[in-house]
Amino acid sequence: MPADTVSVPFEVYRYLPGQDAAPRFQRYSLDLTPHTPVLTALLRIRDEVDPTLGLRYSCRSAICGSCAMRINSKSRLACETQVGPELERHGRIVVEPMLNQPVLRDLVVDQGPFWREYRNVEPHLKLDPRRPMPVGKPTAMTPAEVDRFKETPRCIACAACYSACPAVGSDPEFPGPMALAKLYRFAVDPRDAAHQDRLVRIQTEGLWLCLRCHLCTEACPKDVRPSERIRDLKEMAIAVQGATEHGSKHAVGFKRNIREGGTLNEMKLVRQTYGLFGMLPQLPHGLKIWRKKPEVARRPPPIEGQAELEAIYEALDPEGKR
Amino acid sequence: MKLAYYPGCVAKESGRELDVSTRWVCRALGIELVDEPKFSCCGSGFLDEANALLNVAINARNLAIAEAAGLDVMTVCSTCQGMLSLAKLRMEDATIRAKVAATLRPLGIDYRGTSKVTHLLRVLVEDVGLPALRAKVKRPLAGLKVGAFYGCHLLRPADEMRWESPEEPHAFEDLLAVLGAEPVLYRGRVMCCGFPVQFVKPETAGRIAGRQILDAKEHGADAMATPCPLCHISLDAYQGPAAKLVGRPLDMPVFHLPQLVALALGASPEELGFSRHLVSPEKVVAKVPAVGH
Repeated sequence: MPADTVSVPFEVYRYLPGQDAAPRFQRYSLDLTPHTPVLTALLRIRDEVDPTLGLRYSCRSAICGSCAMRINSKSRLACETQVGPELERHGRIVVEPMLNQPVLRDLVVDQGPFWREYRNVEPHLKLDPRRPMPVGKPTAMTPAEVDRFKETPRCIACAACYSACPAVGSDPEFPGPMALAKLYRFAVDPRDAAHQDRLVRIQTEGLWLCLRCHLCTEACPKDVRPSERIRDLKEMAIAVQGATEHGSKHAVGFKRNIREGGTLNEMKLVRQTYGLFGMLPQLPHGLKIWRKKPEVARRPPPIEGQAELEAIYEALDPEGKR
Repeated sequence: MKLAYYPGCVAKESGRELDVSTRWVCRALGIELVDEPKFSCCGSGFLDEANALLNVAINARNLAIAEAAGLDVMTVCSTCQGMLSLAKLRMEDATIRAKVAATLRPLGIDYRGTSKVTHLLRVLVEDVGLPALRAKVKRPLAGLKVGAFYGCHLLRPADEMRWESPEEPHAFEDLLAVLGAEPVLYRGRVMCCGFPVQFVKPETAGRIAGRQILDAKEHGADAMATPCPLCHISLDAYQGPAAKLVGRPLDMPVFHLPQLVALALGASPEELGFSRHLVSPEKVVAKVPAVGH
């Protein structure tokens, strides 16, 4: 045994739906060097200890995106997570399948929902049929144009973001970080003829359910930063179509709110978002809040120096005035 | 210590118990808070979605106000902290900075990027320091099991917020331990409270909030505490609907961070605005042994 080997305790999620009554955690212990990837350890368990362990993997080099799973609660690639730091922080290594996708066996999930969302954003160039791509000649883009989507092609579709996303886990309408980052990539591609349609469509197909919690950006092994691209999509969607949904009305209402008094006017914002009639379902609980916190219904005093804000809006939001 | 105090919109209005308890704590610790009546709303992330450049400019103005006073800015809201920090970072981009400066300069506003953005939690842990705080505890929160709930924007994006590990932060738990409480570790503490979609799709927000509260409860928490008034709205003000959505009774009092600190430093519960909470923390507070016990 090499000198720097340590004993590493694993707790691995085991479940075969249809056969097992409930999921359970199986303990294994391996002697490993700290630099051993979790994937290598799991393959040793499968090959030397327990051939029934189910897991998905391929390249072992953080390229194929097959081995995403939850390691000590975080969704990430098993091939690039070393056992040493995990052991140091947690004293053990708990391995579970990704969230938000049904388990097929042990660490293998059904990625059907993830790929359906991906296909649904039509992640391919849609050219204007009247202006076909020139044959035999490259279609040039400027460096600045390419820069706008330099991060998104790095995506390896591992679904770590989809697993980490609380909106996916709470609302089937939300397409997930990866699908939206892909959509962004085509929405800013100057060769794509459908970007306006894409933005109009996504406004009603879940765009505004993103929580900007940045859990996807933390989970992404390739620094695609999906949460930031979703933010970009929101601004682009408002620019194309104006505020049509609760989410965009709330964002634009917030913008107007600040212009008017420099500070948030809670009741007015709710009215701007839902409309008077739409507020009705919120009313019973709203009254409960109002009884404890009567300020929700009052107009806050304006800040000092409101004229400065007005001038900033005048310069940077010329179309926003209404 | 003297800081420009950025309470944020909620602490000034419907969450004023946060403002009251913040001022109490700072008074007790000798931190001078300077009110800046010119501070505007930070945009709360919504303005960023409507117009990113405008969002940077508005917050560069906020930061310039503190700079003119020669002070660092202290927030009591994870989101305000996140938006102000983000603006500071965006202003490092030469193109953005030139555009914003061109807008602010004619107004006599000169942004230099010299003021630090911090949060009460960080001030307590990093500037006051836990040993100094421990020395001031008069009423240890003995026996109180508290689940800290960080709020996304103190932690993420981690490479931009440049603070603790977004997976395993510990400042809040360290603070709770110094106050004499027992910190409860649970996964939900670093998750989202659901607030950003409270006015987009309330059921989705409620399910998310309910899940985090349930997680804290299942790990044995008597109460939760948060450094973010927006999380507080989700976890406390909308806990009723959240409980219905997750189909479980929750009954989880949620403290604002400075309320717990003030309580441990000897404030009387009546001073801290507990009656303004939707889920009363009074039963939990009553369990804490009285001063000098």
